[in-house]
Formats: sequence, C-alpha cells, structure tokens
Amino acid sequence: MTITDGLRPLPRPSWRRHAGWIGIAPLAVLLVIAFAIPVGSLLRLSFGEGDFTLEHFARIVTVPLYRSVLLTTLTISATTTLLCVVMSYPVAYLMATVGPRMRALLIVVVLLPFWTSSLVRTTAWIVILQGNGILNRLLMGVGLTSEPVAFVYNLSGVLIGMTHVLMPFVVLPLYAALRGLDLSTVQAAEGLGAGPTTVFFRIVVPLTAPGAVAGATIVFMNALGFYITPALMGGPAQTMISQMIADNVGRQLDWSFAAALSTVLLGATLVLFVLFQRVFGLDRLFSGGGGGSKSGEPFRLTSRGRTAGGLFGAVMGLAVAVFLIAPILVVFPMSLGSSPFLAFPPSDLSLRWYVSFFENSKWVGALTRSLQVAAVTVAGAVVLGTAAAIGLDRIGQHWRRTIETAFVLPMIVPVIILAVGLYYLFAPVGLVASIWGLAIGHTVLAAPYVFITVRAALKGFDPNLELAALGLGAPWHTMARRILVPVILPGILAGSVFAFITSFDDVILALFLTNIRTRTLPKLMYEGVAHEIDPTIIAAAGLIILVTVALLALDLVLTRKRP
Amino acid sequence: MSPTPLGKPVAVRGLRKIYGGVVAALDGIDLDIAPGSFCTLLGASGSGKTTLLKALAGFETADEGAILVDGRDIGQVPVAKRNIGMVFQNYALFPHLTVRRNVAFGLEMRGIGRAEISRRVDAALALVGLDAHGDRLPRELSGGQQQRVALARALVIEPDILLMDEPLGALDKNLRQAIQIQLRDLHRRIAATTVYVTHDQEEALFLSDTIALMDRGRVVQVGSPEDLYFRPANRFVAAFLGECNFVRVPDGEEIGLRPEKTLIGARAEAAEIRLDGILGSAVFTGTGYRVTATVAGRELTALTANDDPVAGLAPGSAVVVGFHPAHAMRFADAARP
Repeated sequence: MTITDGLRPLPRPSWRRHAGWIGIAPLAVLLVIAFAIPVGSLLRLSFGEGDFTLEHFARIVTVPLYRSVLLTTLTISATTTLLCVVMSYPVAYLMATVGPRMRALLIVVVLLPFWTSSLVRTTAWIVILQGNGILNRLLMGVGLTSEPVAFVYNLSGVLIGMTHVLMPFVVLPLYAALRGLDLSTVQAAEGLGAGPTTVFFRIVVPLTAPGAVAGATIVFMNALGFYITPALMGGPAQTMISQMIADNVGRQLDWSFAAALSTVLLGATLVLFVLFQRVFGLDRLFSGGGGGSKSGEPFRLTSRGRTAGGLFGAVMGLAVAVFLIAPILVVFPMSLGSSPFLAFPPSDLSLRWYVSFFENSKWVGALTRSLQVAAVTVAGAVVLGTAAAIGLDRIGQHWRRTIETAFVLPMIVPVIILAVGLYYLFAPVGLVASIWGLAIGHTVLAAPYVFITVRAALKGFDPNLELAALGLGAPWHTMARRILVPVILPGILAGSVFAFITSFDDVILALFLTNIRTRTLPKLMYEGVAHEIDPTIIAAAGLIILVTVALLALDLVLTRKRP
Repeated sequence: MSPTPLGKPVAVRGLRKIYGGVVAALDGIDLDIAPGSFCTLLGASGSGKTTLLKALAGFETADEGAILVDGRDIGQVPVAKRNIGMVFQNYALFPHLTVRRNVAFGLEMRGIGRAEISRRVDAALALVGLDAHGDRLPRELSGGQQQRVALARALVIEPDILLMDEPLGALDKNLRQAIQIQLRDLHRRIAATTVYVTHDQEEALFLSDTIALMDRGRVVQVGSPEDLYFRPANRFVAAFLGECNFVRVPDGEEIGLRPEKTLIGARAEAAEIRLDGILGSAVFTGTGYRVTATVAGRELTALTANDDPVAGLAPGSAVVVGFHPAHAMRFADAARP
C-alpha cells in the first residue's frame, strides 16, 4: 500500500487510514459478545463457580463412566476418520478417471450429504437401516438373512451416519491430490514392472498422503464434537462427549461439569486446528487444494482403458457413490407416497403428506420461524461478513492473519459448546424465548462463511480498479457501489446461500435456544425422529431437500458466472 | 551393465489409432528397428510420434496392427510385463524416493535379491556419473542430473527396448548438447535398441542410426541421417530436415537444392547450370554469409565463405546463381509443368 499511497494526488483523510477497522469492527463486536464471551464464561465455569478448582477435570479422569465416554469419542472419531480415508480413495479415483459430466455428477453426489440437513440425513438412514427398514427387507427378501440385522442404534449406525457426512472433507483434497499426480509417474512405475497394487501402495498413496492427511485431520476434528448423529443413530454405548455435555446441562443441571467437558473438547479441537494450520495452512481448509507436481499431464485414464486393479477401484468408487446418495434417493420418493406406513418404493404418488404438513399449524409455525430466523441470519451475516472481508484488505499485513484466524474460529469450535455457552448467557436475559437469540447464534455460525466467500471473491479484485475509480474523482461510496460490489457480488451471493443453509438446517443451537413456542422446523423434526418417524417428518425432510438442492443449484449457477 | 547387446529387434506392422472416430493419430505405421540401433521418431507436434512411442510402451492401445519385439506380438502384454525402459519428457522420477530407490524400483519389481540390486544400482549410477548422488531426493538435483537418473532407472532393468520421449526438451541448449554427446557415447557402449522421440531435427541427425520422419500419423521416410538429408523422398522431407531451396530448372522440373550447395556470384560462373537472379541481402554469420537472391520470382538462400566478394555487391544487383546437377535433389512428388 505504501507505494500506491505515495502516488495519490491528495493525502488521505486520517479516518480512512483506519477504514479497514471500521469494516472489521461490527463482526468483531458480534463475535466478542456472542462467541468469545459465552464460550469464555463456559470455560471459566469449568474451574469452579466460585473459587478455582480442578475437581471437575479430576472427575472426568477418575469416574469410569466419563473415562469411557472420552474413549468412545476417540474411538468413534478415529474409526470414522479411517473409514472416510479408505472409502474416499475409490471415489477420488473414479472422479479423476471419468469424463467431465460424470465428474460433475460425482461432485454433486459427494457434496449433497454435506449440505443436507443432519436431521434429513439421519431420518433417511434410520428409515433405511432400522429393523423393518428398507435394507433389512431387501436382505431378507433375497434370503441373505432370516432375521433383521441391527444396523442402527448401535456402533454401525453412528459410523455410517458420521462417515456419510464427513467424507467430502477427504474426497475433495484427495481428488485434487490425484489430479496433481503426474500421469507419467504412474506410467513409469508400471513400465518398470509394478502391478496395480504396487502402484497404488508405493506410488499413489505416498504422493497423495498430504491431501488425505489434511482431510483426515478435518474429519477427526469435526467428529470429536458430533452430537446429533450419535444421539439419534447410536445406542447408550455410543455416547460421545457432546451428548455428555448436553446431558449435564439439560438433565443433571451440572454446569461446571458440562463446562469441564467442553474445555476438554475445545482443547482437543483447537490443538488439531493449530496443527492443521501449521502443517497445511488455513487456505487448505477451504480450497481443498492438493499437492503433487505441476509439470506433466494430470493423472487420467488413457486409451488402454482400466486395468483389473483400476476396474476394481472404479466399482468400489461407484459403490461408495451409491452409499453417499442413497438417503436422498430414498427419502424423497418416499415422501411422495400416500401410505401411512413408510414404504419404499411408494406404491403410488401423492402429495398427501405435504398437504398434511401444511394443514398442521405446528409444522407451519415451525417452518415460518425457521424462515424468519434464516432471513435475519442471512441479512446479518452478509452485512457483517462482507464488511469484514473488505476491511481486512485495508489493514496492516501482520494483523490480517490473526483476524482471519479469529473470524473462522466459529466454524472450528464444536457447535455444542457455542450452544451451551449462548444458553448460559441468553437464558437469564430472556433471549431464549424469542427468535432473536437463535438468530444471533446462527449469525455467529454463518458470518464466517460469507467472510470466506467474499474474501475469495476479493482475491479476483484488482486494487488498481479502486484506485482508478478514485483517481477519476469518484467518492469512496460511489466506487464501492459501482465497482467493488458488482465484482464481489457472486461471493456475497454464494455466502448468503451458505448462511441460509447453515441457519435453516441447524438443530443443535435450536435445541438449546428455543422453547416449545419458538421452536424451528429442525427442532420439531428432532423431537419427532427421537420419538417415532411418521410420514409428515418424511414430508418435512423432502421439503428441506428441495430447498437445499434449489439453493445449491443457485450457487452452482452463480459460481459458474464468476470470472 | 551387461556386456552383450541389450537390444532386441522391433517391428511395427500396419499400426492404426483413431481418436474420436475421425483423427488418425497413427495411420498405418510400418517400421523395422534393428537390434541395438538408435532409431529416432522425428516430426512436428501432432505427427503421431509420441502416440507411436506410447503404443510401444503399452500406455496407449492401437486399433489395428501389431508390434513385434524379437518376433513376438506384444499387443496383449500388459505394460508391467513388457520389459521396456522408458525415459519420460519430464523424467517422471518418484519424488518421494531417493535416487537409489528410484533406480532400484524396477529391480525390486523383478524380485531380485538385495545384494544384486545394490550392485546393479551402483553400476547404473556410475554409468551416468551420479555415484555420489544416490541418497539425494530428485528435487535436490539439477535438471540434467534428474535426466540421467531417469536414464539409469530405465537402463538398469536391462530392457528389450529403451524408449525416450523428448528427454532433453526441458533442458537449456548448452546442457542439451552436452547430454547429446553423453547419450551417443552411452548408446555405443551398451547398444540397447533405442526409440527416441524428438521434434528437433539437429538432435535427430546427431544421435540416430535411423530416422523415421513422421507426418500426420504416417512414416514419410525411414533411413540414415545421410539418406534423409541428401536423398529426401519428397519436398516435405527436404524442407523438414535442414534448409532447402526449391528451384525450377530450365527443363521445367522442380528440384531441391541445399543452401550450402547453392553457388552465387563468381563461384556460380563455373557451375554447370546457371540461372539469372537478383541479389537480395547478405547477412554475416561469422563462418560465412547468408546470401539471398530472387530467381524467377522465388527467393533462394546460399551459404558462402566469409571472404566471398558477393557480399560486397549492392542489393538489387544482377547476380548469377548456379549448381552442379549432382547436387540437385529430385522428388517423387515434384511439381511438373
């Protein structure tokens, strides 16, 4: 900036030298009030409500029940991570070796579970996996088993649900790493006499390991804080630390102990986050960029076709793709049936359960509130996130990294911790009984998405355009309106899509920050799923899928227009 | 390295490869490569030379035709079983393995004992002068050194054929010339049947026993460098390899004439065939002058000695251009009146 400053014809007014901070301040204030303070007070609680004590931490270590919850959390997270990596290789391989259309389809298949509400996914899996569910009826139908297999409400249920949603974090960097792999390196190994297995383990795995490890770190970090999936798809033996936190707040009313568990969870998450940042850099978290060499042709299929090993990989990749898309493929057609029993495929097509959804004031009220909260969230997140992203380019270099890290922290910290912290802060002041408390919480979660997408859009914005406009005599606000905003608009719109989905799909904050009069659609569904899945819930799930798919399609269109 | 010649004879029979149903990348290739000889596939980009090399290696399959190594059709033999040494354009060294492990890779795949591997890797590294660099990673080496590791890795398995895909393309000119000399000496010592792809005609002339000049998926001419240079089969070959003047002689036939055989000014007076021309320019190149003259509406180039008085004439002067009939190159496809 110093060189361009020197070239300016007029000295800048002194306030403008701090203009960057003006943009950053609103989001910073929100994050201090609705993120740092609630999370901080919760952490403070873990050391005793009055005098300093470590007794709550001591309890975690000494009481066998809590020790086993910690162990379960680690075991489930590690197993999920392993499953994600193992299952991602075939999908990434398939993505790298098919035509562009098929590849685009596979990317959608990988990303859809990620952007589908956790409740919709969970509901669908339960419908597929339960005792009289689709999978068991299929297995018994072909005679593979005479009695229903217990797929859900146990370890396999939790692992299926968690792997399903966390896989994109490994598939995408792995796909990038595979594309970064030089085709001739693989051919060189083959030419020297290596068969498919040797090529995979001695060449492909070592060269794509950085991408896989980056993804695995994110998966493990996220898995540690999982709440909804183990709560709905696991049994008592699969109780994870987040459930223990919620249980201590909701049932035991033992705030200090819940706080101590939160501190442990947050500590573990932050250690992983710092490690990730040190080793891979923050950008990797969002871009999914891979390593590999730059020269040469990217890894692809040649005219020779697939080898036996390649064919095996492709078939496995297809199987995993089916696994990823199955819940959505099942639940949506199911919502169009008319039978009061869940049937797949539905014997007839009708909108009966959608009608019943819209005739029920309980569901309509919840949907309305969800939309209201999402509207407030999108507005808040877009204004705060965009201002902060624009501001960040206008402050000193050495501050940027710190601020950037601080602003993405809400994406890193397990939502359960924010939920409990906000509940602790909002309950006494009555914010829980209105939609505003939830909207504030959602804005904390959503603003970082807008911040990141606008930051990315700004990277394509040549600062000279701004100087040119100002040099031609445009005041700053005119420049912003006519030059800056049009350029970054796709980033803002993509950020709004993510903000909307973040709010519209959230269950965890809603569980803590709403009551029976202010509950949102996901919370109402949660109560239903935890009790019994009826067709109206499936209709609600179908509705959420429609909204999500429509928004993602919108995002795809917006992204394509980006220069 | 093994003292006996490594190479086996290679024969390509009617090889065809169509991309997307229309473009013939290989349009019926027939080629015989003698055991132990150095054969260059020369051509512009898109001529099919790299596709042919990849078909030999097994990375691409042909739609028709056969490739015979030592008389045996290798069409159905998978890449890993072909015993072919390949040096890639970007070397394709395994970036996560040291130089030694890179060179040892092919031997490990063949289940050779550790002591034997160590001995052969040492010998291969010594052959390319990299004995001291065995424990480095590829990225710690210069481009020329990486190139030699790739060569050692390809040779150590004692391949039936050594394939090289523009292996010097990424190097700067001086280094390229130095390595060309090393390559030629190395080939003379080990006599592996080598198929070498390049678009650089000087490189092809310098290295090859046989050059197969390719154009649009066909082999236009096969022969020794001298054959192709002095007896080009057609205008395309004459123009591709070296410079060539196309002259219409008094009887109406069009012939090719190399600039160094094109006489001009005083030296042309003694030539058997003389034509009237108009002097264009004379550019000093150190060893001589590059003189241009227009004859019957066509511009010709002549290379003359650096003391030739023709350089002193004013551009636009009348000048005699001549040649000896023995130097005229006649083409099958020459344009006739």
